[in-house]
Amino acid sequence: MLTVQDLHAGYGASEVLHGVDLEVGQGQLVALIGANGAGKTTTLRAVSGLVRPSRGKVLLEGREVQGLEASRVARLGLAHAPEGRRIFPTLSVEDNLLLGAYGRLPILLGYKGRAVASLQRVYDLFPRLGERRRQDGGTLSGGEQQMLAIGRALMADPKIMLLDEPSMGLAPVIIQEVFATIRRLKASGITLLLVEQFAKSALEVADHAYVMERGRVVAQGSPEELKKQERVIEAYLG
Amino acid sequence: MSRPAARFLLTRGPEFLAFLVLAGIPLAVTNPYALGLLTLLAIYGILLIGLDVTVGYLGQVNLAHVAFLGLGGYAAGLVVLKLNGGLAAALAAGTLVGFCFGGLLAFPALRLDGPQFALATLSFAALSTTALNELEALTGGAQGLSFSRPPLLGLPLTPPAFYWVCLLLFGLVWLAMRNLLASKWGRAFEALRDSPIATDAMGVGAYRHKVAAFALGSSLGGLAGALYALNFQYLQPQSFVYELMVILLLGVVLGGRKNLWGAFVGSCLVVLLPNLLSNRHLFQAISALGFIAALAAGIRGLLKRQVRPFQALAPVVSMGILVAGGLKVENTEDWRKAIFALMLFSVVVGLPEGLMGFLEGFLARLFHVDPPALPAPAPLDEVLPPRRAGEGVLLEVRDLRRHFGGVKAVDGISVGIRCGEIHGLIGPNGSGKSTLVNVISGLYAPGDGEILLRGQSLPRGSLFRVARAGVARTFQNLQLFGELSALGNVMVALEGSYGTPLPLVLLGLARAEERRAQAQALALLDLVGLADQARAKAKDLTYGAQRLLEIARALARRPELLILDEPAAGLSHPDVQRLLEILRRIHDRGVTMILIEHHMDVVSELCDRVTVLDGGKVIAEGLPDSIKRDPKVIEAYLGGLPEADAPAPA
Amino acid sequence: MPSVVVAQMVVSGALMGLVYALIAYGFQLTFASSRSINFGQGELVMVSAFVSLTLTLHGVPYWAMIPCGMLFGALMGLVIERTGVRLALEQKSEGWILMTIILGLFFFSGAENLWGRDDRPFPTPIPSDPIHILGVDVTPLELSVGVGVLAIMGLIETFKRRTLLGKALEAVSTDRDAAELMGISARKSIMLSYALSGAVAALAGILVSPITTVGPTMASALILKAFSVAVVAGLDSGFGVVLVGMFLGATESLASFYLGSGWREAPGLILLILALAVRPTGIFGKAVIRKV
Repeated sequence: MLTVQDLHAGYGASEVLHGVDLEVGQGQLVALIGANGAGKTTTLRAVSGLVRPSRGKVLLEGREVQGLEASRVARLGLAHAPEGRRIFPTLSVEDNLLLGAYGRLPILLGYKGRAVASLQRVYDLFPRLGERRRQDGGTLSGGEQQMLAIGRALMADPKIMLLDEPSMGLAPVIIQEVFATIRRLKASGITLLLVEQFAKSALEVADHAYVMERGRVVAQGSPEELKKQERVIEAYLG
Repeated sequence: MSRPAARFLLTRGPEFLAFLVLAGIPLAVTNPYALGLLTLLAIYGILLIGLDVTVGYLGQVNLAHVAFLGLGGYAAGLVVLKLNGGLAAALAAGTLVGFCFGGLLAFPALRLDGPQFALATLSFAALSTTALNELEALTGGAQGLSFSRPPLLGLPLTPPAFYWVCLLLFGLVWLAMRNLLASKWGRAFEALRDSPIATDAMGVGAYRHKVAAFALGSSLGGLAGALYALNFQYLQPQSFVYELMVILLLGVVLGGRKNLWGAFVGSCLVVLLPNLLSNRHLFQAISALGFIAALAAGIRGLLKRQVRPFQALAPVVSMGILVAGGLKVENTEDWRKAIFALMLFSVVVGLPEGLMGFLEGFLARLFHVDPPALPAPAPLDEVLPPRRAGEGVLLEVRDLRRHFGGVKAVDGISVGIRCGEIHGLIGPNGSGKSTLVNVISGLYAPGDGEILLRGQSLPRGSLFRVARAGVARTFQNLQLFGELSALGNVMVALEGSYGTPLPLVLLGLARAEERRAQAQALALLDLVGLADQARAKAKDLTYGAQRLLEIARALARRPELLILDEPAAGLSHPDVQRLLEILRRIHDRGVTMILIEHHMDVVSELCDRVTVLDGGKVIAEGLPDSIKRDPKVIEAYLGGLPEADAPAPA
Repeated sequence: MPSVVVAQMVVSGALMGLVYALIAYGFQLTFASSRSINFGQGELVMVSAFVSLTLTLHGVPYWAMIPCGMLFGALMGLVIERTGVRLALEQKSEGWILMTIILGLFFFSGAENLWGRDDRPFPTPIPSDPIHILGVDVTPLELSVGVGVLAIMGLIETFKRRTLLGKALEAVSTDRDAAELMGISARKSIMLSYALSGAVAALAGILVSPITTVGPTMASALILKAFSVAVVAGLDSGFGVVLVGMFLGATESLASFYLGSGWREAPGLILLILALAVRPTGIFGKAVIRKV
């Protein structure tokens, strides 16, 4: 589904990624773990087009997408729920969700009618979003905002979803809930690339995982294999 | 010929030569028209040097300069007409009026930047035109104001004599400006354009330097206005309108920003442009030349893949329109504004560094002139005297709060930093570490709580005042002064090395002090291992070197407390080792440090004590080893893992 | 001084003030999507008015001319975005300020030469005989300005709130990256906002021309006041520009009565500099948090 080859990217003078390779198969949940500053978020940003890679390839279903505008990549079926959630605080919950499906809805009028089924699916998954559909996104709690960010990404009916640190800044009990959601998404057959600083929890849900350190992939394998490795233990405490 | 002599000849020779030639022309040429043009050249030279201060050095679009020209002119005219003032009085009045109104406008306007600043200056210019038109009792309104040029020391000022006065003033302004720009003032101007935040954090007030720079530029505008008034001996408000402002901007941009020669070239252009337009054949020749130049530059840029297609094509199209228009249109004078627009457009898109910027790069490749040798580094003890590791608490934070909207970024944090220690600050992403140091260092005002340095309350919400109180910091997202050299970056922050008053600086009498500052800055660069790259521009350094440069720059503040915000972020492994070594040496000099860091190995190796934050609160504090075993810390990092599953501490 | 005369001036001043508000609203549209504005907007108003006048003189009926003029304004908005703004935004520089000034100068010169330097009357079917409302004389022409301004602003605001495209514009202005991730192209949003801003400027020109006459300099005073309104009200609030615009229009018609017509411009400029000193982000503007 998604293949990344020798990806180099950075911001201005600093190169953050020094050649990242990874692969996400159809229906897989792949986790990307590592300490803060290892380049996990930058990897996702380079894949989805928010950062222009300086070298390397990103293949989405075999099609090269590196260097395209993020909006083009999104329309090709890649949904990215970014770090820090980045919901639109001044728009209502429902508007946030509708914008998630922007690429496949009529842009002037009649868009609500076409989105009823998708909206219902998200509200079924996150009943609390349904209760608050008229509220502004900014008034939601942190956990609810994360649900909204995931729901918004789901609205696009993506081929693959990138989830960046869904647990960031949330209380432990909410984090459990977030991971329960990720399990449900996985069960429904969505292809997922998950970035997490909580390596242990991420490894519990993943089919396959990559460990990053200072801009490179330093280990990969199934969660069982990785749990035995020294490097992964290092990555825990960064 | 010795090297310094050769350098002096190459760098200063052209100035002397140009000055002598310009001064000599009236002896050979008596054509009053040519003399008039030369006089204007000198006047516009002063005007454009003043405009370059804001447009070039501050990097702001200033649309009020033409108003200072007008106000200065009217001030001089009124002094002559109503007060019977002499030449000196008229010039002083023009300069003073420029300075005062410049300062007056700068105070509110420079709190803004970008479009709002341009709007504010535009409005000021319009307001001053209105005032000049409407205050008829004083200015004669639209009728204008006539007066005659006062004598100088009893001698009548003939046109050549007046020209020499203007030229002399232009030369003096040139020299004073060069001295100023080579001093700490020039560095501060450069610094605050690249990063106003870091300028404040280095104890150099960004705002006050901006206001000073703007007032300086405006007083030159006022001076030029006074000369302008005495030259024409007649003033009317319509002379100082928007169109002239655009031409002045054309002069600065086409000549080359941040460049005295650029101002000179620009002034030649502004003076000659009307004459070029009045002759159709000359205009056609020039536009054809421009077209060929744009075409050549565009093709070259595209082949070398240095520019985007638009950057290569737009100047060609625009010059092409100019050529076609020149062939078709009968009276070029009518299309004056469109011609300015097309030329300016081509230059801004195709030659953003201006003629002189381009030419200097070209000349620098032809003649390699060694810069003057740097002094030997000062002894480190002089720059960073070892402090006795004092007793007790240096910095005390009590119940600090800072919220953003609903997000409690810092939610009641109390922490004490002891004298001489390295205090680690760790926590997951979003736990409030950066906000905490941003509040301590004054970037944000605290919502609630107290911050005490040696028992004294630290200023709130002002980077500049906190820096002055003895706290220095580095930035996670680097805030270097990219256009300055590594040495220049450190010199901006050197405190207590500059004492020469401004008039002496303008006379070029700050050189010894400058050498001493260089020596001290070199000592700090040496400490972080960058002495051999002292002359490289900060933006051209490698990422690792940039991080170290931030530390050297912060040390130039001789801080009691040094805050390091993720100094190891993005560094390669050998660089991290170097960093550790450097931080240890700084620690040995008795500097107290707060270290935000993600790499636990760095924290364990360096820190005396560690505070762990989560959700804006302190969840643990203690020795690094005990912190690593603290179940709360493990939970914060691992997300609700049962303790038994936690990995064994490394 | 009878209060009726004051009321009279306040009302007609406020109606004129709505034109400033409309131009200022055009600045807000582009500022929201790209943090940039067209400094040559005044010339765009003027050129659009000339084009509309030419259409009218060629026999295009008034009501058909209005959409044509607005379409022309939208096209010019796109031209400005492409030639003057896009490159600077890509380079994250403020070069667009100078570039849009330059383009404005070019349009000005073009208009001067194509249509001449003289002011010309703009024919309109709307009568200019005053009608008496609540003790104040208002001409239908003045009323048409107010109605036109409020109608187009209402229309655009409805568009922004009711259509998905409008919501997408809002998304781009609050969080450009997040909007891109939804498949909303920021580049196209910026183009759309420049087109809208151009159309709005053209309408301002068409509405105001029958009152002020059409000439190359018709917008130079207008635009300064629109700048003042935009800065004083802040670049975020459509409601704010309407209030400030009407206030400014009323004050300046009083100022020109008491101080002389030459001082018409003064209140706006003084208001602007005062507002900058007291509240740089504008009365209705959002505060900005500095980030490192």
